Amino acid sequence: MRRILENGFALFTRFTVLALLCGSANWASAAELQVPAVVEAGRGFSISVDGSGQATFYLVGPDHLVKRTVSLGGDLQIQSSDVRAAGRYQIIVCGSSCTSATFEVKAAQPAHLSFFLHPSRVPVSSPDSIDASAFVFDQYFNLVLTPAAVNFRITPASGTGFSRQVMTRRGVAWMRLNSTPHEGRVQVTAVLGNVEEARVIQQVAAEACGLRMKTVASGNRVTLETDPVRDCSGNTLPDGTIVSFTKIDKLGKSTVDTPIKKGIARVQFSLHGRVQISVACGVVLGNEVALNGGL
Amino acid sequence: MKSLAAVTLGLFVIAACVLAIAQSSAPIQLPQVHLDAEGLVPRPIEQLTGTTVAHHYALAWRDLAVALESGRTDALGEEFVGFAHDRLTRRIGEQEQAGLHVRIVDHGHNLKAVFYSSDGTAMQLLDQAQLEIQTFDGDKLLNTQNAPHEYIVLMTPGADRWYIRDLEEVSAKSF
Repeated sequence: MRRILENGFALFTRFTVLALLCGSANWASAAELQVPAVVEAGRGFSISVDGSGQATFYLVGPDHLVKRTVSLGGDLQIQSSDVRAAGRYQIIVCGSSCTSATFEVKAAQPAHLSFFLHPSRVPVSSPDSIDASAFVFDQYFNLVLTPAAVNFRITPASGTGFSRQVMTRRGVAWMRLNSTPHEGRVQVTAVLGNVEEARVIQQVAAEACGLRMKTVASGNRVTLETDPVRDCSGNTLPDGTIVSFTKIDKLGKSTVDTPIKKGIARVQFSLHGRVQISVACGVVLGNEVALNGGL
Repeated sequence: MKSLAAVTLGLFVIAACVLAIAQSSAPIQLPQVHLDAEGLVPRPIEQLTGTTVAHHYALAWRDLAVALESGRTDALGEEFVGFAHDRLTRRIGEQEQAGLHVRIVDHGHNLKAVFYSSDGTAMQLLDQAQLEIQTFDGDKLLNTQNAPHEYIVLMTPGADRWYIRDLEEVSAKSF
């Protein structure tokens, strides 16, 4: 048994050595590689490969792979199209043995901004209510990790605009800002060099402020009508906003929800004896009125 | 006697091949992913989100390892989208054409979430991965890399998962 195994092993070894010899028959001496540590994306360069004869050259990158036969002892040209994706690349040169080296491809100059503005609608005069985030990419859509200054230019529909500069960190610039006091569209533009990306958000009136109603009695009926419903900055609340009128009389409590139309909410109640009526819009309470009905 | 030796060798080779096939066809374990989200800005991460992100990141690396070794772009699964998917698909296709394959022995990932947008639509993470990467041309081992690898990752949420939209290997200085 031992002899069988010994013979088997000898045969195996013979095949292996033969295979290795066949594989390396045309190859020359080992290569020494000299590659740059860092390269900019999309920029070709050359590497120096020592040795003589022919070898197989491999370039293994994040999105690309090159395999070709090269002659040792000169410079090897790496094409710009071979190094477009940022990341770590590996060069392997195999002659009689394999030699390898790695280098890093870094993003090129900023060329694209991916810009997010949140939310799409925001109440006026709300602190830290708007978030702007910008991701900086180069022309090959590599994230640009080198710090860069992104300007966020804020242009409200009315009032003066302003801008804020934020440095990117790991390719991202973000900031929070307050909404301005006036309703309407606000354009926020992220600017980096010649690259601009604009987004628009809608500023809407905030909660009602100083909510008041007046009464017009007519027999056993009363019409209740609010003053124009505005927020504390004077912006009219949008039509459709619900205003609640609550009546308490001897029959109990009843509430009528009615939408604002043309800035005003209006409702009609029938009166039964002494009545107390209040008005509210969202979390804001308005005035109360007390009336005496005919029945 | 020589023929018996050859048969013995043949059996040994077949056994080795079966073992290799069994190993390659066995379901690959998910790599370990540890997510650190402390100090995340501008918004903190919810626990469930963190668990989901780590799980799908592990799935992505498992699928990537299978795709790189098998040369099958469909093995990439659904975890990669956008630039990340396009780049890996191209790479695997070219790798297959050139007759190369890459084996990744994944010893785990330390993920650190560094940016999570307020609206929850994007998360940036840094990954310190312990990987052993072997590059083969056919059966010939060309190279083994056994150093730590650092990646910068951009993930975005979908209906039921987090996708990898960008995956770039960077130098440790970026951390």
